[in-house]
Amino acid sequence: MKILVPIKRVASLDDEFELRDDGRDVDPDFCEYDLNEFDEYSLEAAVELKERAGEGVVEVVAVTVDTQDGDEILRKALAKGADRAIRIWDESLAESDQIAVARVIAKAVEHEKPGLVFCGAQSADHGHAQTGIAVAGLLGWAHAAVVSGLSYEPGAPVATIDRELEGGLVQKLSIETPAVLTIQLGINKPRYASLRSIKQANAKPIEVLSPAEIGLDPAQTGLAGSLSRVRRMYIPERGRSVMIEGAPAEQAARLLEIVKEVNG
Amino acid sequence: MIPIGIEQHAVTRILFQDFAPWMVIVFYAYACAAVGVFAWGVYVQLRKYLAGRHAGRIDWARIGGRIADTLRMVLSQRTVRRRDAAAGWLHTGIFYGFVLLFIGTSTITLQEDILAPLFKIHFWYGDFYLLFKLVLNVAGFALLAGVIYMMYRRGWLRPPKLDYTRPDRQKTDSDWSRERYRIEDWAFLWTLSLIGLTGFLLSATRMVWLEQDPAVWDTRWWAPVAAAIATLLKAAGLDPAGAADLRMLLWWGHGILALTFIALIPYTKAKHIVTAVVSWLIRDRAPVARLPLGDLEGQRIGFKEVKDVDSRYLLQADACTKCGRCHEACPARAAGYPLSPRDLVLTLREHANQQLGEIIPLSTSAGPISLIGDGEAQIRAETLWACRQCGACTEICPVAVEHVPLINMLRRTLVDEGELDPALQKTLGAVAKSGNSFNESRRKRARWTKELPFEIKDARKEPVDILWFVGDYASFDPRSQKVSRAFAKILHEAGVDFGILYDDETTAGNDIRRVGEEGLFQQLANGVIETLGQCKFDRIVTTDPHTFNTLKNEYPQLGGVYKVDHASAYLRELLATGKIKLARKLDYRAAYHDPCHLGRLNKEYEAPRSVLAETGATLIELRRNKDNSFCCGGGGGRVWVPDPPGVSKVSEIRAREVAEIEGLDALIVNCPKCMTMLEDAVKTTGNEGRFRVLEMTELLAEAMEFTPRSDTPNVVEAV
Ligand code: SF4
Ligand code: SF4
Repeated sequence: MKILVPIKRVASLDDEFELRDDGRDVDPDFCEYDLNEFDEYSLEAAVELKERAGEGVVEVVAVTVDTQDGDEILRKALAKGADRAIRIWDESLAESDQIAVARVIAKAVEHEKPGLVFCGAQSADHGHAQTGIAVAGLLGWAHAAVVSGLSYEPGAPVATIDRELEGGLVQKLSIETPAVLTIQLGINKPRYASLRSIKQANAKPIEVLSPAEIGLDPAQTGLAGSLSRVRRMYIPERGRSVMIEGAPAEQAARLLEIVKEVNG
Repeated sequence: MIPIGIEQHAVTRILFQDFAPWMVIVFYAYACAAVGVFAWGVYVQLRKYLAGRHAGRIDWARIGGRIADTLRMVLSQRTVRRRDAAAGWLHTGIFYGFVLLFIGTSTITLQEDILAPLFKIHFWYGDFYLLFKLVLNVAGFALLAGVIYMMYRRGWLRPPKLDYTRPDRQKTDSDWSRERYRIEDWAFLWTLSLIGLTGFLLSATRMVWLEQDPAVWDTRWWAPVAAAIATLLKAAGLDPAGAADLRMLLWWGHGILALTFIALIPYTKAKHIVTAVVSWLIRDRAPVARLPLGDLEGQRIGFKEVKDVDSRYLLQADACTKCGRCHEACPARAAGYPLSPRDLVLTLREHANQQLGEIIPLSTSAGPISLIGDGEAQIRAETLWACRQCGACTEICPVAVEHVPLINMLRRTLVDEGELDPALQKTLGAVAKSGNSFNESRRKRARWTKELPFEIKDARKEPVDILWFVGDYASFDPRSQKVSRAFAKILHEAGVDFGILYDDETTAGNDIRRVGEEGLFQQLANGVIETLGQCKFDRIVTTDPHTFNTLKNEYPQLGGVYKVDHASAYLRELLATGKIKLARKLDYRAAYHDPCHLGRLNKEYEAPRSVLAETGATLIELRRNKDNSFCCGGGGGRVWVPDPPGVSKVSEIRAREVAEIEGLDALIVNCPKCMTMLEDAVKTTGNEGRFRVLEMTELLAEAMEFTPRSDTPNVVEAV
């Protein structure tokens, strides 16, 4: 059987950064990019299933919707044990929102026909936590979000999963396959991808598909297919703290002044 | 020498006197069998070692020097006496006793079985024989005394390092106590002592038996110990007839014991007689400072199963005598981590024996078992991760076991398989992305220089005499930044032409390599070599011993050959040439903590001590100093991994050791990582305020008493 693992390249910010000229995103110069932390866990869950099942039973396919820059995380996924890597891109996908991306992934699922799809519970940068569930919705598959435990015999019609609820409660449920699971942090211990294994993964091919090749209608993706659009990114003005200097008496006097000011 | 009236040829020993022919045949048959068993054992062990990799990798170029060095070590028994003089001296007695007895017995065989029958040459009589007896008597006595002391030591003194219970196992594990070794040790000691005892008794009964023969009786005091025993035996009423019977019994007992001992050498701890010597002969001169260069393209980067392990380590595992010196020195073991270098080496031994055969050769065709795992005869991952790569074990091992590269090669497998602590994964990820372990942007690397009243040259843009490789901690850690500024001011004050690499410096990768991430290390090193290749400088100086170590010892493996100095040596030089002028003498009582990477790994003990002396401070040596310095706990990447709850910290053990000193003003460290670890430990052990923790550089800055110059208003900030 096959497990499809959609992964995302996410940005992490420097403590000092600047915004892009159009004000709709951070200037990439101030970002470091890496594999989404949540996807480390979903990928590990898939690779663990594969390793437990023994040679040739489970195939793990990592997929990302990204420009060529996404190759880096696909290599990492290959280094960590994915068997194949697919990148879907052309210009028509630029500016896709999370649901439009879900449409691309849903098509990829139809194309690859996996038995399970493991997504990260959310992305570490934008954090919508929607893509995975939207994929399930588009496919009409069973789904469970924020999965913190999983037991599954590859090929079986049902998987048993745990979900953590409020107050330390654990919900155990069985879910029919095919299914989409979004995986929570801590479900496993993701392995490290050594530099050597990443280098070795460089030798493996990355399959690059265009949206048309998997049967996507351009109207469904990109700006045209997105119902939401980033208008602006900014840091809201916040009440700044003030350091009161001077001798204790002076400080007290100033403090009193401020209290009076605030109380009006 | 020989009393008048006795013919020279009469003074000898007729070996098989009064033996029936069948007895001689039985003896020779047994001797041949013993030699056969011995030879088989040698074959099985050799086959085992050769199953490893790189068996042929021997440094032939310096073989002459190596042999001379090995002879010196063996004959002086120097390494056995280190840190355990009593046991060492008695081992020296056993060694010489054994060697002389062995040579003596061999000369008998030489005459009886080779020279006499083939060439009719006899030399074993007369004066020579008497001297021979004397020498062997002394040798036997030394052997026996040594062995009896060892029994006393094991049975009554019981030093903790000889306790075989394992920190890397739970009490409930079946292999927790290694009982087999304890039994083997005692069997070994008893056998040796019985061989010695029966030898003396045999000689003594022979004297009583042949007391009528003046060639025997009148020369008896040439064998003083045996003669004394003979006197006692006679006094106890032994007559020549009884002595004849007893002699026959003892003869067989002694002969069979000795032959059996020889037969069993390759299978028991006695094999260290050979393996220890070979281990020393092929030893690496800098096993800790320069780790093996990994082949990134190879099928495996580290050791995973026994056949990946270099032959040298398989041999070393058999050379280990379980002396426990490494066990005693290991800081991780002392702090209660599941690691003992001794037990790790013994586990390798057991694993190799189990996989390849110890008595009967085995083949691993059934599918090799991983050397790393939780089973018996497997090394646990947690054991490997507990190591600080501090080299205390390898330093003290009398038989040149190289634990540090062995552990590192096993870690490389864990890293390659991705099995490492999440905190460590984060750090390695950060280093891969941003070139430093602080996960800071490259742009911020030289920000610590902003507060300096002068600008440091950019070595990328202009030639400098001294290229200062700052290192991660000295660049980003706020406490160490102060030290960096102090060092900058000293160099500035001394008028040194120096520069740094600014944003283009990355970590040199010493600790990345020690974690076992060889691929990342090589990438970093190649990057640094490229950057340095574009700069013009005379030599590199760094305050960080880790950086110093890898630049100096490991970069040449990748083609980066530089003149590298640690700051302490450079400061000593500046003091000696008068470039640094001290404004005042400090009257501190100061203790100096030798950093592993400067001291043990690079043998630089004197430079920091002489700088310290120059400042006027009085040096109080710590209990464990120089080659026996106790790691701060931050080596081998452990500085990035939080200590688990429930174990004491390595750094706290050291801090307590420092705090034992009465009236201490300052603990002087000489490494940014030591600073981080020990300053913290001084606080957590409740010793904050009792003494200061200062870097060597800061101490010197205090003695230089930087006075504010007109253009440098706040220059004393570091002080
Ligand atoms: S290098 Fe240090 S920590 Fe590691 S085993 Fe040897 S003594 Fe112990
Ligand atoms: S490895 Fe060396 S130091 Fe350690 S117990 Fe064996 S012989 Fe002694």
